[in-house]
Amino acid sequence: MTRQKRSRHRLKRAVAPYLYLSPSLVIIGLLMLLPMVTVIGYSFQNSAVLRRDPSFAGLKHYQAIFADPVFWASLWHTLYFTCMSVVFHMTIGMIFALMLNSDRINPTLRNILRVLYILPWLFTAVIIAVIWRLLLEPNGVVNSILMQLGIIGSKIEWFSSPETALHAVTFANIWAGYPLFMVSLLAGLQGIPKDLYEAADIDGAKAYQKLIFITIPQLMPIIISISLLDFIWTMQVFPLIWITTGGGPIYSTEVLSTYTYKLAFSSYNLSQASASAVVILLISLGLTLFYIRYQKAR
Amino acid sequence: MAEVVLENICKTYGNNFNAIDQLNLSVKDGEFLILVGPSGCGKSTALRMIAGLEDITSGSLRIGGTDVVDMPPKDRDIAMVFQSYALYPHMTVFENIAFSMRLAGKSKAERKKRVDEIAKTLQLTSLLDSKPANLSGGQRQRVAMGRAMVREPAAFLMDEPLSNLDAKLRVQMRAEITSLQKQLGVTTIYVTHDQTEAMTMGDRVAVLKGGVLQQVDTPKKLYESPVNAFVAGFIGSPSMSLFEATLTGNELICGAFGIRLQDAAFARRPSLRSYAGRKVVFGIRPEHLYDSSLESGRKYQTIPARVTSIEELGSEHIVHLNIDAVRVDSGDPDAVQDFGRTSNAVAKFEPVSEVRADSEIQLALDDAKLHFFDPETHLAI
Repeated sequence: MTRQKRSRHRLKRAVAPYLYLSPSLVIIGLLMLLPMVTVIGYSFQNSAVLRRDPSFAGLKHYQAIFADPVFWASLWHTLYFTCMSVVFHMTIGMIFALMLNSDRINPTLRNILRVLYILPWLFTAVIIAVIWRLLLEPNGVVNSILMQLGIIGSKIEWFSSPETALHAVTFANIWAGYPLFMVSLLAGLQGIPKDLYEAADIDGAKAYQKLIFITIPQLMPIIISISLLDFIWTMQVFPLIWITTGGGPIYSTEVLSTYTYKLAFSSYNLSQASASAVVILLISLGLTLFYIRYQKAR
Repeated sequence: MAEVVLENICKTYGNNFNAIDQLNLSVKDGEFLILVGPSGCGKSTALRMIAGLEDITSGSLRIGGTDVVDMPPKDRDIAMVFQSYALYPHMTVFENIAFSMRLAGKSKAERKKRVDEIAKTLQLTSLLDSKPANLSGGQRQRVAMGRAMVREPAAFLMDEPLSNLDAKLRVQMRAEITSLQKQLGVTTIYVTHDQTEAMTMGDRVAVLKGGVLQQVDTPKKLYESPVNAFVAGFIGSPSMSLFEATLTGNELICGAFGIRLQDAAFARRPSLRSYAGRKVVFGIRPEHLYDSSLESGRKYQTIPARVTSIEELGSEHIVHLNIDAVRVDSGDPDAVQDFGRTSNAVAKFEPVSEVRADSEIQLALDDAKLHFFDPETHLAI
């Protein structure tokens, strides 16, 4: 092979991987990076989208949303909604996964429970929202059961009362989201070698000690990965809240996604909406970087 | 330290499969007993029943005089080394070894003192902060030993602990475990399917087949006086070759040749006379077959044989042969099958032997070393 041929061959080898990657890179660039950069640009413009030659606004829109108490309320609601959802998704998912992995439960019953427990995952956000709106209506099933059991004295307007609305949507989201944890943790549990438990039996571990010293450390990589992903996804939840409460009553369930939506499509303040979207982007980006670093460390 | 006594131990699974049938075994205080047998013979099940990891269907099990049948593993005063080592992957070597002490509520200082002692014995001191994933097979094996030792148990149970090591390391660890057991003097029950381990490590060897105990004896006795054709075929490497023959007078007639037996053979086993005119199974170990062209083989009678293949190991030649006789199966499911059905006997020749594959030779055999078995029951005569 001549030197020229060899260098051409080398160039081909170096370029080939990028050629294979290029279709996906183009799609990502057009559908993700370009809108992202555009939104960041809008957040620094006055009357973005609405005017052909918007003027530069500096940090004005950021200052405006930071001065807006509804934004801070939305941020707090988002954190509450997200943290509670992730913690309960994990706890419920873990309990159900442990149950489904237990030899003490009859295999047929286990299979039935497996299907039942995974059901919430099969519904779209709209269906979940409709189901819970019906269940939590003042004259709905939940109120009537709670009243019959004597737990509450009068009907509660779960989604219409500022005191209960945020808890109610969080509850609906917890119900909808635990199966992801359950399925992932169940797969993890099934991958833990049995002899570790046998060794622990001989070492004198009780059931709860086996859970603490073997099961949880063995599941830790799954718990951390799924928790981070769930955190990122839950922070961006929109349809469930929009359909159940629309962010109300009196902003009591307003989260960053509904707050941004309203700024954009109710007030047509696309510049401030963009600034709010950038804030969501930065929080998600922080978590994503943490996730990537964790994955790399493993 | 304690005696381990198994009396009429049975293990029946839900599908009525008898994994262990009426196992009676007494392991003396400080003894190193090997449980050996082919795959599926129930040896690991027996060990796991002693450990408490499998329920005992019926029978009694005493460790140090205490009936432990209904006790959980932790109360049986035993420690176990698993085939996979079962080290806790997220814990360091120190934490792995100290885990049982931590669960028992021992103080940090106590744990450190004891683990340091053990690490010194097992040469693990420099590895105490490492995780199992960063250790070699031999080091993991030692950590598993350390985890067992830290409990100062009445008995060690080891389930094929060397099977994941490469051949060279296995030889080294074999010696290490044996000397450690002697040093500690702890009653040890060791499961293996490797009969070299069985022969070299144990004070006594218990041979199991199909959940039934075949023979318990010293390695030498097992080798020299197997109670049946299965034990004869299983113990020894390469295996004893077993053939069917008819006893006519003082001669074993098989196919086109006969083997003359000396009176001493009958004197040693008087009941052999009763097989006169009948079929009998005889066996000969590879080391009792000789190349008749060499000095070592000249004094023995010869039979015709065809060399099918030769494995030259340097120190000896393993010669696969075909002789004109009907081969008898010892009943070892793990025995290597000769799919070509060309060879039915194995001999160990000195490396100076010049026999070549596909040649006809005169095979010398030491008839005083023949073993005889009943053709129906396969019991030794």
